[in-house]
Amino acid sequence: MDTQQTLDPNWAWAPYRPSTEHPWTLARAGHLYRRAAFGANWTQLQQALVHGPRKTIDGLLTPPADLAAFNRTYDDYDRSVGSSESADELRAWWLRRMLLTPCPLLEKMTLFWHSHFAVSNGVVKSAAFMRQYLQLIRSQALGSFHTLVQDMVHDPALLIGMDAIENRKSRPNESLARTLIEDFTLGTGAATDQDIRQAARAFTGNFVRRGRFLFIEREHDDGDKQLFGQTGPFTDKDVISILLEQPATAEHIVHKVYAWLLNEASPPSDSLMAPLTRSFARDYNMSRLVETMLRSNLFFSEACYRQRIKCPVEYALGMVQGLEGMVSTTQLATDLAALGQNLFHPPTLRGWPGKEAWINQATLIQRANLAHALLQGSGPYQGKLDARAILEKYAHTANQPDAQFFADLFLQQAMTPASGESIEQSLYDIVTSPEFNLA
Amino acid sequence: MTMTRRSFLKTTLETSAMMSCMPMVPDWLVRSSLAQDPSGNNDRVLVLVQLTGGNDGLNTVVPYEDPVYANSRPTLRLPVSDLHKISDQLAFHPRMAAFSRLYKDGHLSILQGVGCPDSSEDHAVALRHWHQADTEDRQTGWLGRLADHARLNHQTGVPVALVSAIKRPFILTAQQAIIPRIDTPDKMTLVRPTDTGPKRDAQTNGFLSLVQETSAQSRIMSDRIHQAAQIQAGDAYPSFALAQNLQTIAKLIRADVGVRVFFTELGGDGFGGFDNHANQIGNHCALLHQLSESVGAFVADLKTQGLLDRVLVMTFSEFGRTVNENGRRGTGHGAAAPVFLAGGKLKGGLIGQHPSLTDLQKNSLKHHTDFRQVYATALDTWLGIDSQAVLGQQFDTVDCLNV
Repeated sequence: MDTQQTLDPNWAWAPYRPSTEHPWTLARAGHLYRRAAFGANWTQLQQALVHGPRKTIDGLLTPPADLAAFNRTYDDYDRSVGSSESADELRAWWLRRMLLTPCPLLEKMTLFWHSHFAVSNGVVKSAAFMRQYLQLIRSQALGSFHTLVQDMVHDPALLIGMDAIENRKSRPNESLARTLIEDFTLGTGAATDQDIRQAARAFTGNFVRRGRFLFIEREHDDGDKQLFGQTGPFTDKDVISILLEQPATAEHIVHKVYAWLLNEASPPSDSLMAPLTRSFARDYNMSRLVETMLRSNLFFSEACYRQRIKCPVEYALGMVQGLEGMVSTTQLATDLAALGQNLFHPPTLRGWPGKEAWINQATLIQRANLAHALLQGSGPYQGKLDARAILEKYAHTANQPDAQFFADLFLQQAMTPASGESIEQSLYDIVTSPEFNLA
Repeated sequence: MTMTRRSFLKTTLETSAMMSCMPMVPDWLVRSSLAQDPSGNNDRVLVLVQLTGGNDGLNTVVPYEDPVYANSRPTLRLPVSDLHKISDQLAFHPRMAAFSRLYKDGHLSILQGVGCPDSSEDHAVALRHWHQADTEDRQTGWLGRLADHARLNHQTGVPVALVSAIKRPFILTAQQAIIPRIDTPDKMTLVRPTDTGPKRDAQTNGFLSLVQETSAQSRIMSDRIHQAAQIQAGDAYPSFALAQNLQTIAKLIRADVGVRVFFTELGGDGFGGFDNHANQIGNHCALLHQLSESVGAFVADLKTQGLLDRVLVMTFSEFGRTVNENGRRGTGHGAAAPVFLAGGKLKGGLIGQHPSLTDLQKNSLKHHTDFRQVYATALDTWLGIDSQAVLGQQFDTVDCLNV
């Protein structure tokens, strides 16, 4: 979008304050919950209208409920899947966690990093390793990117997934070093083959043995390495620090988070991103970056409105959240896989490409059929979502025609239903509309 | 076609201005053709049939006159009188009557001696090579790359489809594209019609108009598949899973929804049914019978429907088997094997020499035709899709098609 080329960064990243020109509307509250969570129910939207943006975002960043206790419970559920080869049960538990967590933003960012550090159980073939991997991601999803990278390069699932469980002095694993540099940190084209070879030497001695990370000193190359103008007997930690000193790393990550939370339709200008990149590069604090983005004028502007395509998870959970039900997430995980988002199985080391890639003629048929299955009173989801109950709960207080209530709940826009149309038909049309496919 | 029973009103963040929006005739929809050409320059279709487990080529196309064959296979050699003669040297397995008929009609060709350099004896590795179209590690399969290639041209159609209930094979792994499983037509039919309303303005929001246009096209796709699925095939298909999958493929071809490549298979998950290390005869008979009868019914159906000239069927297996049987009435993992082509535009006959039964590698036949030459032929000559863009290298094509 052209307007972004000329946006004033100072205005863009200043916190949004409602004004007569830019009032706090249902549409803005819906937008916030689509981006910072997996959609909202009517109560949340109404509360957001009362509380205003600042307090609503406070709640999304720091939920009042006991998040630690919730996550402990769900970590136990995850552990119950044991040592199976399949991660199908883990998929189901994760979707349930996304739906019920007091902090959906944390799961949203966990999903983001899952695609960034894209490890597939198709290669790892161990629910136990995938569980640890995701737990590690979750622990830093809104924490320190620096710590996250350090932890990930020692994570057994990641090392198995990248075929890097034996980093011998005689055979440094260049593909691990290449992925670390080109995908995890600096981005494509920012390093030479020479940089990659030097970095790979620092990772020698790193092994996975009996399911655990193990550093074997005698397999470590402790000689001098040259990397980005620095020379020394660098360890893997040193290399990561050097990579994070490169401006390209902060730029890469900030751009990627921007596409995830604000706008994936058009890349932002460097000048627009400069203040965020500078700030992020100081300490790689994710929660400050995400908070700045979510509170910003830019986030709540037209320039970002519906400028993302919902991933299948967002598409499906948006319906479930809005209708305040709980469906079989085992079934849902399978249906989401058919839509191209098989959790714990990103297609390649590059993760899910997102954006337009989610949309083709087949996926739209399948999205609509999933919507139908979720909404109908019987079948694989057993009628767990009850639109009429939600209508009874709220519509009289909302004082709108039935179809408009659902348009406000899911799209936050006005709608004229065809005369005599059933509420089921209206709702189906809403959730299969082009607008509902956008975030 | 009436598309709009209702209209969504344009909204902005600031207002929800009420304005009247009359349902419009979606002529833009009529213009956007569904059977758009995803990347090639014709409307031909490729059907890949994977024979999972490593098919014993020597007991499929049998060199019955070669004494080495009989001597190497004391229990597995097939009685000459039961074979379906191809030439004075070669014959089809006794249970392949349908293939023999297709061959005589010019609807079947046999590419002999096809294999992979650095042929692996490990199922997973060998299959991975065939799926990657490479012996070096790659993150994507070649059909995935074909679909990615179409995506790069900003096409939202479905160039590749999986028509089988098996675990999703690596060959479909793509960087960008999402390749659907359509093992029954209803999987790709809208349970309830969608209504995406009046045309959204691409200037205002490119994503919105992309989703809307694709959604409109998906509705046409669904309608066409639904209609094609209703038509009873004049020719009966056997009840084998492969035959049922091929019947689905015939319906999808008839629906004309732009799928260029269909992937299906025989042999199932795990190591695959063709992996016969012991007591091979019975199991192999059954599988070859299923293959032959299923493809036979498919070709007959396509011919009746006037679609055969658009279709090329290609079989492949991760490897052939050892020349010697192994003392357990079975065979070990081998190397080269024949690839079958079926369709309406074949040169016909035997293509390439049968590999020698005495000049072997690890007791297995040597290949003279790289498997990627066959892929390149399917891509360049048949589909009109640049093979180098998909395979990453240029391979000589095989002269086997009448196009």
